[in-house]
Amino acid sequence: MAEEKTYNKPLPDFRPETKPYWEGCKNHALVLPRSKETGKFFFYPRAMSPGDDMSEDIEWVEASGKATVWTYAIHHMGPSKAYKGDPPYVVALVEMEEGVKMMTNIIDVDPHDVYIGMEVEVVYDDITDEVTLPKFKPVK
Amino acid sequence: MASDIPGTKEAREVLKKHKIVIAGVGETEQGKIPDRSSFHFLSQASKLAIEDAGIKKTDVDGLVTAFSLVEHTFMHCTTFADYFGMKPKFFTSVAIGGATAVWMAAEAAMAIASGQAEVVLCVRGDNTLSGISSSGMLALIREMCHGEFEFPYGLTTPGGYALAAQRYLHDYGATREQLAAVAVTMRKHAALKENAMNKDPLTIEEVINSRIIAEPLTKYDCSIISDGGAAFIVTTEAKAKELGIENGLAYLLGMGQGYSHQYMTTLENLDQIYNAINRSGQKAFQTAGLGVDDVDLAYLYDCFTITVLLELEGLGFVPKGEGGAFALEGRMEIGKDLPVNTHGGLLSQAHLGAMHHVVEATLQLRGDAGPRQVGDAEVAIVHGNGGIVSAHSTILLGKEPLS
Repeated sequence: MAEEKTYNKPLPDFRPETKPYWEGCKNHALVLPRSKETGKFFFYPRAMSPGDDMSEDIEWVEASGKATVWTYAIHHMGPSKAYKGDPPYVVALVEMEEGVKMMTNIIDVDPHDVYIGMEVEVVYDDITDEVTLPKFKPVK
Repeated sequence: MASDIPGTKEAREVLKKHKIVIAGVGETEQGKIPDRSSFHFLSQASKLAIEDAGIKKTDVDGLVTAFSLVEHTFMHCTTFADYFGMKPKFFTSVAIGGATAVWMAAEAAMAIASGQAEVVLCVRGDNTLSGISSSGMLALIREMCHGEFEFPYGLTTPGGYALAAQRYLHDYGATREQLAAVAVTMRKHAALKENAMNKDPLTIEEVINSRIIAEPLTKYDCSIISDGGAAFIVTTEAKAKELGIENGLAYLLGMGQGYSHQYMTTLENLDQIYNAINRSGQKAFQTAGLGVDDVDLAYLYDCFTITVLLELEGLGFVPKGEGGAFALEGRMEIGKDLPVNTHGGLLSQAHLGAMHHVVEATLQLRGDAGPRQVGDAEVAIVHGNGGIVSAHSTILLGKEPLS
């Protein structure tokens, strides 16, 4: 019998307008929204540019996947029982090369080796058959 | 320092004309009280505030409530009006997290100044400690962050503040001991308050060595969760006289708000937070015609130790990055430079947003703070923050009206 994948942690609360982002993740590509009118990236993805342009004309651009750690918190307690066995884990805000920040986990590293300014790159965690979370690991 | 903020001159005229005051306060028992509902606490706190003012329930014609983390209602203020048995002419609920309590006073003042009501009951109560389910707690954590782009990474509420704290330590070379000193001062003050949950002495070492929650924050960097209620009554000096209220009055001298972000993801840098705090404070200061040197008492939102430092600095009491040293030197203690949260705050007294901060500021200005009394206190600042240091509100209260 094939091993069944179970994922008990919270899945993203999807909004319709973020579909290109999550489809990108599923295909292991990090695509970021950018206002066509101003050429500015923004994150998190929204249906309308949060800039003064208020533009709904949004393009999705593949990011380099390179980022630096802006800040991080080593979690010794998760939000629920579903995280049992995970701590300590690192939740971080990383600054993408494209200039926007995103929240993520820093993985494949001892949490205490993470530091502000650390260079990291995207890796893809297929948490279910349908959903992939982009996470980051240190650049070797 | 902000230059002239539009609207402050007009606000000053309004407050001068109406002489808005806090004329009564009430606080129920705080702690783990498993047999009382949220609406029970709201009723008890309301009754205590009405009795403290020495007025009748029917003298109250306005109602400002907040929200409950346990009993979710679509229309909180009118749900409570029904439970309590009152028919207010003005009613609203404020729901801006930890910025709520401070803004309830401002909301009441605006209602009074625009003729909507004369005597406004502001009340909050909740059985957060005893009543919240594990799914309710998870929903609360979920609400504190972005459900699509943050929550799936396992961010907790303390984790959100730890993100801010970690960056603060990095940017300013602040130390773990400095953060811990905030918790130690709050505990010292709570020991002087009868109605406080945690009064046992606490040392810096004990804070640092307590259970790690989200590095760099440990258990005692985090506020407590409690059951209880608190209320205050806002009216005018003239109406207070008409009703024969004998309490000392705490005059509203200024108020303001400042907004930074909702989600940590959209925070550009710590300056964005400082600017929001400063804007909130400066609006209140400029309305009052006062500055930081005029403040005798500070009530700062202390859901986590880090917020006290950010607020001390953002409001302009000390330069950026110097709040930690100020705390470590004990300068926030009663009898020192700037007594902060003389009741013990959210870290040690009880957690009901900033309700107790407003109540304690009023008691101090009345001279009714018992063993915690700061003798010559004439001006108090109360600052609340909601979200993860994202939404800010400030009021200034004084023993004397604006002149």
